[in-house]
Amino acid sequence: MAAEKPHMNLAVIGHIDHGKSTLVGRLLYETGTVPAHIIEKYKAEAEEKGKGSFAFAWVMDSLKEERERGITIDIAHKRFDTKKFYYTIVDCPGHRDFVKNMITGASQADAAVLTVDAKDGVMDQTKEHVFLSRTLGINQVIIAINKMDSVDYSEERFNEVKEDVSTLVKIVGYKPDDINFIPTSALFGANVAEKSSDTPWYTGPTILEALDLFTEPEKPTNLPLRIPIQDAYTISGIGTVPVGRVETGVMKPGDKVTFMPSGATGEVKSIEMHHEEVPEAVPGDNIGFNVRGVGKKDVRRGDVAGPADNPPTIADEFTAQIVVLQHPSAISVGYTPVFHCHTAQTACTFLSIDKKLDPRSGEVLEENPAFIKAGDAAIITIKPTRPMVIEEVKKIPQLGRFAIRDMGTTIAAGMCISVKTK
Amino acid sequence: MGEVAVVIKVMPTGVDVDLETLKNNLKSVVPKGIELQGINEEPVAFGLVALMVTIVVGDVEGGTDSVEEAFSQVADVESVQVAEIGRLL
Repeated sequence: MAAEKPHMNLAVIGHIDHGKSTLVGRLLYETGTVPAHIIEKYKAEAEEKGKGSFAFAWVMDSLKEERERGITIDIAHKRFDTKKFYYTIVDCPGHRDFVKNMITGASQADAAVLTVDAKDGVMDQTKEHVFLSRTLGINQVIIAINKMDSVDYSEERFNEVKEDVSTLVKIVGYKPDDINFIPTSALFGANVAEKSSDTPWYTGPTILEALDLFTEPEKPTNLPLRIPIQDAYTISGIGTVPVGRVETGVMKPGDKVTFMPSGATGEVKSIEMHHEEVPEAVPGDNIGFNVRGVGKKDVRRGDVAGPADNPPTIADEFTAQIVVLQHPSAISVGYTPVFHCHTAQTACTFLSIDKKLDPRSGEVLEENPAFIKAGDAAIITIKPTRPMVIEEVKKIPQLGRFAIRDMGTTIAAGMCISVKTK
Repeated sequence: MGEVAVVIKVMPTGVDVDLETLKNNLKSVVPKGIELQGINEEPVAFGLVALMVTIVVGDVEGGTDSVEEAFSQVADVESVQVAEIGRLL
């Protein structure tokens, strides 16, 4: 058997009704992920009814039916293969209230395809999703300017939308020159697996070819160790056992680790994953580890473990770039919502609103604005109401992002630019 | 509008919690309108076992809040965390 291809998690993002699900279905169809017997069955049925060309639509229906039988997460996380990689594809929820899940717990995407409707162009959610994908640390992106069939495969319209999207992605730090903008029709399969004769003016890669141009993300093993603690237990005969997922770095038995904010330090005696002892833990591993010298009361959910000689950073204040997703009125200085950052939930006060940014151009619209509201991007200074670990996104991105929640809704998402320690 | 498949990781308070009882208790508090698909046991470490609960919720306001809240009120639950998420076709 051939060696296993490297794995990538692919998020499909974009404004509602810009063709995310159709693109997912098309990718699965073109890569032969949908079982051949299902395709054959539906093809035969479709032909019988004189609708041979509708095979693809039938496949979409069959995927819907499949979920009624099986465990849906397998369907929500479909696998497909390109020449170079195997991808797990995640169609991101549209509602903003799922943003906290994307930031704090759910599996991390390595790359994204942003769908933009060729007719509608950049919409609110396009803007939000671009910002979020950057906040989530997704550095590799393809932009599918989709539904090209609805604009007669017009090169002029493609270039207009491309221009708008370029401006948008630039402000969050993507380089438009490094991104493939692809004119697609997911519905008719144009430039997804095969170059379309409807776009003779387009010479770039198809979606599948562009997916193979991505590079395998490196596991962040070279960064300092950081394990946000999910829970801590006392297990008889063993002792204190914190549980969590390794975000960065490597931990081995014998290492001295410090838990912040408490500052408790101990020695790692052993590490287990899936009930088996492991010689080391690396990013992505869900582990429990036995630490000597630390009591259960010294470590709790929301703490972060790191090397004793390079412990996690406690912020007295920090500055952040945020985008306000929804808020019933206006946000001003003194506002104290809850920040969800790794496994911690901490009330934090807006000390100052330093800059309001134009979410389309990234230019500073206003210095020290009196307030910001839904749709605004801003640079703010924040003070946690109690000690909290957060890292600068340029140093340890995995520990630098957060969602802001208030009154049961997700107000904003952001990333930490700089930290002021005590 | 669409629906979202979610896997929620529920950690018990210790190694001696009866997982069958816990599963039944979780099932009984699933809020209306949310479909429970199944619960799998996933060994973690040192005898601790997580329950991975698969549910389907609407892609609507509130997201996973109501079910996270309901699960966290159940006896012998230490913590509740969303582990996987994805919109259904």
